[in-house]
Amino acid sequence: MGTEALSLEEVSIRLGQSLILDGISLQVPAGSFTCLLGPSGCGKTTLLRAIAGFAPLSAGDITVGGRSISNLAPEARQTAMVFQSYALWPHMTVAGNLTYPLKLRGLSKVERDRRAEAILSLLGLEGYGPRAVISLSGGQRQRVALGRALIIDPPLLLLDEPLSNLDASIRRSLRGELRRLQQKVGITTIMVTHDQDEALAMADRIVLMRQGRIVQVASPEALYSAPADLEVAHFLGVDNVVDLRPGDPVAAGGALAGFRTADARVFTGEAPAGLDAVLVRAGTVTACAYAGGSYHVSIDLSDQAGNESLSGASGAALSALSSVPVAPGTRARLSVPAPMLMSFGADSRLLQGIRQ
Amino acid sequence: MWPGVLLIAPALTAIALLYALPLLRSLITAFVGEDGHPTLGNLAKALEFYGADIVYSILVALGSLALIAFVSIAIAGYLTLGQSRWAVPLLRWIYRWPLFIPFIVAGQTARSFLARNGVLNTLLTDVGLVDAATATSLLDWRGLVLTFAWKQIPFVTLLLAGAMASLDRSTIEAARNLGAGRLRCLIEIVLPQVRPQLLVALVLSLVTIMSVLSVPVMLISGNPTMMTAMMAHRVTFYGDYAVANALGLFSYLLTAVAAWAYLRMSLREKSN
Repeated sequence: MGTEALSLEEVSIRLGQSLILDGISLQVPAGSFTCLLGPSGCGKTTLLRAIAGFAPLSAGDITVGGRSISNLAPEARQTAMVFQSYALWPHMTVAGNLTYPLKLRGLSKVERDRRAEAILSLLGLEGYGPRAVISLSGGQRQRVALGRALIIDPPLLLLDEPLSNLDASIRRSLRGELRRLQQKVGITTIMVTHDQDEALAMADRIVLMRQGRIVQVASPEALYSAPADLEVAHFLGVDNVVDLRPGDPVAAGGALAGFRTADARVFTGEAPAGLDAVLVRAGTVTACAYAGGSYHVSIDLSDQAGNESLSGASGAALSALSSVPVAPGTRARLSVPAPMLMSFGADSRLLQGIRQ
Repeated sequence: MWPGVLLIAPALTAIALLYALPLLRSLITAFVGEDGHPTLGNLAKALEFYGADIVYSILVALGSLALIAFVSIAIAGYLTLGQSRWAVPLLRWIYRWPLFIPFIVAGQTARSFLARNGVLNTLLTDVGLVDAATATSLLDWRGLVLTFAWKQIPFVTLLLAGAMASLDRSTIEAARNLGAGRLRCLIEIVLPQVRPQLLVALVLSLVTIMSVLSVPVMLISGNPTMMTAMMAHRVTFYGDYAVANALGLFSYLLTAVAAWAYLRMSLREKSN
């Protein structure tokens, strides 16, 4: 069948009074790996289900390879979906699960078995065919679910949080495995996730969603270094926000600066040399916890005159890393190198991202 | 240990006195002759007099179960996979009604509905499907099958629809996503997953069908008829508990075979 491009035009879904998806337009190139990323309730899973045909559109159109699929029943769409719960059929064996889609397409038993063998070896599950699916581990079930979707050679692969039910270590190894497999097969893939690390590690392109709308479409690198606004930045791990003061090393016109804890350092004594292009804030250490390799230090700025929050949005508590433990109550300073700062306007839109 | 025994004693006593003892007595009575000696005479008499009724009962029960299974699967399947915004809620609301109607009322209704000049034949004559002159009464095995099915379908559907509703919905969506239409989805994905519940519901329905007296008494005149009617006949007209109990033994055997087949099947599934 070969892989196909997907196009969404002004897709909206209304459930009663609430607008679940609000005018989503998106072009997904053939063979690409796109992640739908966003907090829970943002509509990302609904969008995936709309593509598969399980959520009827209120408006808009979905096309695969130029053909509209909006009015087709799920079984006629040829989009292969992998569900969060894997959704393997418990009354069938591994081979039964893999070959059922082929049986539906009227393939001969010989051909079905041949393809099941091929898929099992692709997934590293040789010899698992006759096993009951309930005897498999979570990671193995996930692979069978993926194989069941790939066996029909679909134009489009839809993944609904496929790794979220797995242990952290299996998740990390499967992440790479899934990505390699996708590149090997070359299939257009759309994955829903709420895990930013997963999206950054796997996707060619990330679609960030919020309240039924697309906020930003960017490559992982671009999204990480230049999030569209403060909320997106916060979702992508920018956990510190400060009000800017005259003399801070950021672009003119900015009202707020954001940075990641891992990019900030704490020091208690004299300022280290060469601190020209650095944002510095002083405050009192409120907590210090070992975070593996370094200490995670929280600093409260609010007691210092002139540090009153301007916007109210930016808290007076910041955090940074330290190579040595710092006792709570100690006066300390926090510094962030200028290239690691992102500046935002008063409307919280991004003015300047990370410069690398 | 003793406090535990004390706690279950009331329930145990009730079962022993109200269930186990009468059952045992009726079983023993079936093997005791008029002279008080053990005998197989009652069984032989029951077979000789009522062999046709036993076969008839088995065939009616099997026919009813087949109809019940078919319609219940169709209704529960539609409740689970149907997409109509009005038909599904309407069906969900309406299908349980017969549950609340006693067998005796169902029997009376069936009489007036299925008789030669009954509502059904009148309707069929009006639309021209049946000629009034050749219309026949459906008050025979067909009436029994229809009445039993009408009464038991809601019960089986209730259990089946509940089981289907508690399935992992994504297993159904996965099948549709990979190309299965709704009918194939019902037969190949949903039904195999709820088979144990369907079998339980059918075994329970069989027990009910084998024990209903009012419906065969009201619908069937003459022979052959259901075993229950003949047992009642034997007791009320002849005071012959021995042969009635011998006949009852065949009822037990029939339901026991069904229960055994079900247990064996569920054990085999567990060992897989």
